[in-house]
Amino acid sequence: MSRLIVRIALDRIVTALIAIAVALAAIPVLVLLLFVVIKGLPGMLAPGFFTQSFHPYGIPGGGVLNAIVGTVEIVGIASVIAVPVGSMVGIFLSEYGRNSLGNTVRFVSDVLTGLPSIAFGIFAYTILVATLGHFSAISASVALAVLMLPVILRATETAMILVPHSLREAGLALGAPRWRVTLEVVVPAALGGIVTGALLAMARAAGETAPLLFTALGNDYLQLDPLRPMGALALTVYRNALLPYTSLQDQAWAAALLLVLIVGLTNVLARIYVRRIQR
Amino acid sequence: MKRVLLGFSLSAALLLAACGGNSNTATNPSTGGASTTVTPPAASLTGAGSTFVAPFAQAAFYAYNQKYSQVTVNYQSVGSGAGIQQLTAKTVDFGASDVPMSSKELTAAGGPDSVVQIPDTLGAVGLAYNLQGVSNGQLKLTPATIAGIFLGTIKKWNDQALAADNTGVNLPNLPITVVHRSDGSGTSYIFTDYLSSVSSDWSTKVGKGKSVSWPVGQGAKGNEAVATTIKQTPGAIGYVELAYILQANMTQASLKNHDGNFVIPSEAGATAAASQYQTISATGNFSIVNAPGKDSTPIAGFSWIMLYKDQSDKTKGTALVDLLYWLVTDGQQYGSNLHYAKLPAAMTKDAINSLKTVTASGSTLLNVPSPS
Amino acid sequence: MSRGIAEKVVPAPLVGNRQRRSNVGDRIFGGLAYGAGFLILLIALVFLLALIIPAVPSITRFGLSFIVGRVWDPVHLQFGALPAIYGTLVTSAVGLIIAFPIGVGAAIFLAQENGMRVIRGPMSFAIELLAAIPSVVIGLFAFFILTPIMRTNVDPFLNHVLGFLPLFSGSASGYGYLTAGVVLAVMVLPILTALSRDVIATVPRSLREASLALGATRAETIWSVIIPYARVGVTGAVLLSLGRALGETIAVTMVIGNSPSIKASLFSLGYTLPSVIANEFTEAVGKVYQGALFELALILAVITIIVNVLARLLIWRFTKGEPVSA
Repeated sequence: MSRLIVRIALDRIVTALIAIAVALAAIPVLVLLLFVVIKGLPGMLAPGFFTQSFHPYGIPGGGVLNAIVGTVEIVGIASVIAVPVGSMVGIFLSEYGRNSLGNTVRFVSDVLTGLPSIAFGIFAYTILVATLGHFSAISASVALAVLMLPVILRATETAMILVPHSLREAGLALGAPRWRVTLEVVVPAALGGIVTGALLAMARAAGETAPLLFTALGNDYLQLDPLRPMGALALTVYRNALLPYTSLQDQAWAAALLLVLIVGLTNVLARIYVRRIQR
Repeated sequence: MKRVLLGFSLSAALLLAACGGNSNTATNPSTGGASTTVTPPAASLTGAGSTFVAPFAQAAFYAYNQKYSQVTVNYQSVGSGAGIQQLTAKTVDFGASDVPMSSKELTAAGGPDSVVQIPDTLGAVGLAYNLQGVSNGQLKLTPATIAGIFLGTIKKWNDQALAADNTGVNLPNLPITVVHRSDGSGTSYIFTDYLSSVSSDWSTKVGKGKSVSWPVGQGAKGNEAVATTIKQTPGAIGYVELAYILQANMTQASLKNHDGNFVIPSEAGATAAASQYQTISATGNFSIVNAPGKDSTPIAGFSWIMLYKDQSDKTKGTALVDLLYWLVTDGQQYGSNLHYAKLPAAMTKDAINSLKTVTASGSTLLNVPSPS
Repeated sequence: MSRGIAEKVVPAPLVGNRQRRSNVGDRIFGGLAYGAGFLILLIALVFLLALIIPAVPSITRFGLSFIVGRVWDPVHLQFGALPAIYGTLVTSAVGLIIAFPIGVGAAIFLAQENGMRVIRGPMSFAIELLAAIPSVVIGLFAFFILTPIMRTNVDPFLNHVLGFLPLFSGSASGYGYLTAGVVLAVMVLPILTALSRDVIATVPRSLREASLALGATRAETIWSVIIPYARVGVTGAVLLSLGRALGETIAVTMVIGNSPSIKASLFSLGYTLPSVIANEFTEAVGKVYQGALFELALILAVITIIVNVLARLLIWRFTKGEPVSA
């Protein structure tokens, strides 16, 4: 009888521990989000925040229009590079890569995730900026694309592996060639996970600063040419949050809040999409 | 006959004006450069470098663009050293640095004669502290005590050496928390330059540089991080750019200058220090720390802009020198309410003369009269 | 071409032309897939070269003394990476030790299917949102809000209770290894929790319910069913988190104190490899100084490789080579 009591007691303790863990996990999340919202709201409500580009200190108004467009363009180009390549590698790993080549690729990808993000910027700088003689948005996109690849590839592989073998075999049994089975049967079944991975990678890329410092450089003017320097929200936050001028600080915090909102929106859209796919 | 003559001279004048082509028009003769306007060609320029000058540079370039909308200047703060690196790699049109290029850097850029370096503004460094009850300027520091604090030989606020200079000030029995920059910076260079020149101990043990091996203290990244750390830590002291100290309303110490007066660092003091030197040059002596003069601020320094002497693109090159000419003359006013000190007249003259040596395919780009 | 089990049951369709055409399709697709795999390896190789080549001047000058040297003096060109290596390992360890129980505990809660949906849904969402906050913002948060709390509340408390241990001795400034570890814990928590939650959610419901039907308590189910099943996946999640912790730069730089020293107490100031690089890269002049910074990045890459190898060996031992779940 006492053994039962011990077991029940343990159960209660573990439940309590889990509850504590949940509370501890929730606290930094809530506090941080609150922090960003409180510090970011004033700047966001300032006139011209969304419609004007950067004004230096002393000139009233000013906003992050150039940075918003910059982030969208830079992350957009990065995604166009990283998503097809990353998902292809993920497909490779799940369908063709249960061998030592696949293991090597997996290992390399894991190591890449551990490198400081500044290393990706230096890498892109060496191959695209120093060689061409000028900073450009596209070099930033390349740096971000390499940063995004491991995440997309791992998410794709995981999603593809989770698709039951029976689906593949059914397709093959019907006489379809392997590539069609993969593309037209397995990938759609795994699409939810692939899309989530892509969206998470894009969200991370949008918030990265260090890879942009020596590639996109930053630009106070709104410009769309990918071969020239470009601004970005993450750069605005990094460069202005620690200035002694409150108006620019407010702008930096508002930019940070905007980034969080964009990512939040992306997350919500991803979940809705996945749920629709699974219907 | 008169009508023919009139017609002839009119058309001759029109022809000459049309052939004048290049849009440099000096309207008044220069008297130290303050009132000459030069209209630049259309161009899009990129510059990078010092974080210290960024607020001034951005405000000035914005105003320039308002005036001449055909020229857009994109200046980004990446750090003095990075600015030099990018100029050497030719990824930017001009670089900005708180320390001029060293001989090694000049060699990497093509030799000392291939780069023109001009001062664009002046800054001072103050020592901010966090001591309850000790108000702005009340704390008096001498070269010896500053060196002692940063070397770690003076560890507490109520140390004898500090008390000797601060009779009547209530210095608590609190350990001194030294805060310095963790990132390489021109501010650190100017400060360590000062320490090296006033303390032989410092000069041999640590030396001067944008990054040094600090004997004691905690590193914070950037001026503002140093400022905030000081504000948050009772008993802390650190060196911060004057502009930050004034913007953030921090308490700073009175520093004993070369002549023995205790001064609170100020823009006027920086200009006074700079005016003591007639032979400042980027490749020679550019240090103005511990300058003589009764009002001189002891820890101050110029900030520099560097560009290639031989510009490959004539239009861009012309726009660049026109911009920089404006910056050292009319543009200086945009630094005042940001607490940047104006260049003394002698330096402005030097800068203009240096700019006049910039060429493209052999011809000079800056068409202004030489300053008197 | 393999058709799995189907091969044994259904004979291959005898369609000549179509088979040859589909072989071409297969070959192209397979080629693309393999090409993508090789592309990753190529990128990694270029990356490695981009790190090694500039680091050579420093490697040749300092040799092994670089790794064990303790002095970081840019003025006299004396560089030693040991304090930074020590700081990186200590802060990452502290971060993971804090994040692991919290993350896995929360993941177990979030992965259950019934009850408390009102809490689970928003909390899952909030944790994923945390992953999106730029590290600059987390660094600023740590700088302005976390350090005072550490200095006035947490550190003195730890000193009072555990001060006899060298780990918690000495006075606290609010900056240092412990604070940096907490910041890292906050940063890896989302990855760890979200990935662990996904892995734990794949534990078949039938297994869990069978265990409960047999009379096991929830705690025993967790211990005997969920943990063994999810072990591999959770280890993978920990690995990914460790990677992020090792490489995290900006947030750590703001609270570690940036002092190249090695001390036992978690309250003391320290340095990490990414922090040194981030602090000095833009101002470093000269091949040797720049080379030293590149060498630091190289050391970081090597540490990451070693950690990954160790973790793989661990997984291999658990599953004897056969991957159980992703």
